Amino acid sequence: MSRGHHAEKATGKGDPQCFRGEAPAPKFKVGDRVRIRDLPDIFYTRCQVYTRGAEGVVAVVTHESPAPEDEAWDNVDEPEWFYIVRFKQKELWPEYPDVYENDTLQTEFSERWLESA
Amino acid sequence: MADKHKPAPMVDEVSDFEVLEVAVRELAIEKGLFSAEDHRRFAEFAHSIGPLPAARLVAKSWLDPEFKKLALEDGFTASKEVGIDWLNPTGFGTPSDYCDLRVLENTPSVHHVVVCTLCSCYPRPILGHSPEWYRTPNYRRRLVRWPRQVLSEFGLQIPSDVEVRVEDSNQKCRFMVMPMRPEGTEDWSEDQLAEIVTRDCMLGVALPHPDRKADDKRPVHKAANPVHGH
Ligand SMILES: [Fe+2]
Repeated sequence: MSRGHHAEKATGKGDPQCFRGEAPAPKFKVGDRVRIRDLPDIFYTRCQVYTRGAEGVVAVVTHESPAPEDEAWDNVDEPEWFYIVRFKQKELWPEYPDVYENDTLQTEFSERWLESA
Repeated sequence: MADKHKPAPMVDEVSDFEVLEVAVRELAIEKGLFSAEDHRRFAEFAHSIGPLPAARLVAKSWLDPEFKKLALEDGFTASKEVGIDWLNPTGFGTPSDYCDLRVLENTPSVHHVVVCTLCSCYPRPILGHSPEWYRTPNYRRRLVRWPRQVLSEFGLQIPSDVEVRVEDSNQKCRFMVMPMRPEGTEDWSEDQLAEIVTRDCMLGVALPHPDRKADDKRPVHKAANPVHGH
């Protein structure tokens, strides 16, 4: 593989568009209740610690891409689906004021980080 | 005390990340991956972008329901209508500005605000460089946990019956907020509307107001306790 393989693949399409159609069918859909897994992340991750173990709802199924834990090492052969998950702030931060119980936070995960809740 | 008038260093401290950036850049130039001229040109391109295309996207959406639908469904394509091709300037985009723009629509019951807790992901192709405060650990750490306190430090109070929705931009999607069109702008043209959609409104730390334009002159505030002779 040449050093420029990523640029070549994304030329004229963009990234993540260049991975379209490369992941297996998405396991979750909008509205599904999910829990964030607490996987090991010794080298690199983009899954925030504050979401580990929390439960939320899939808000958007976004796109296919290699997970950052793989892509950081230029392993781009197994793209997976990504999901924006919506959490109640109270679920993430127990001290969050009750008066603002409707407040939410959204952030994105690759499929490996999610399990059905 | 001869050294009393020595000039202070321009930068007191260079962070590890800045050292890393210089090291990687110099290695890449040495290896011939790109030239110093490429790098300069790229930096110049990046610095020439501002928030005006994004303001135009919001103004257009306020006036044209079909365009608004496109903006909310496919930010990448909608960007082209306001002159921004996310694939510029390389044909595959820029290294950290991935091409999946998501426009977050504020409603009477939901107010969005954007942050990246992991670094400083920002929709640069359509909004230009991020403000200094957006990249600070202070904003990034506190916004996710105490969003209403942080917003109030920006002078923005969101009523308790409105859901504050923080978007932590941690992967390849890039986010901008589409604020609600304020009252008092009925019959306004797209140009007029675009003027009041400032950068901060599209990050969610401010709301557009008919009397406040991005290019307004700054008022002069006289010091309360002036120092004599200054
Ligand atoms: Fe980031």
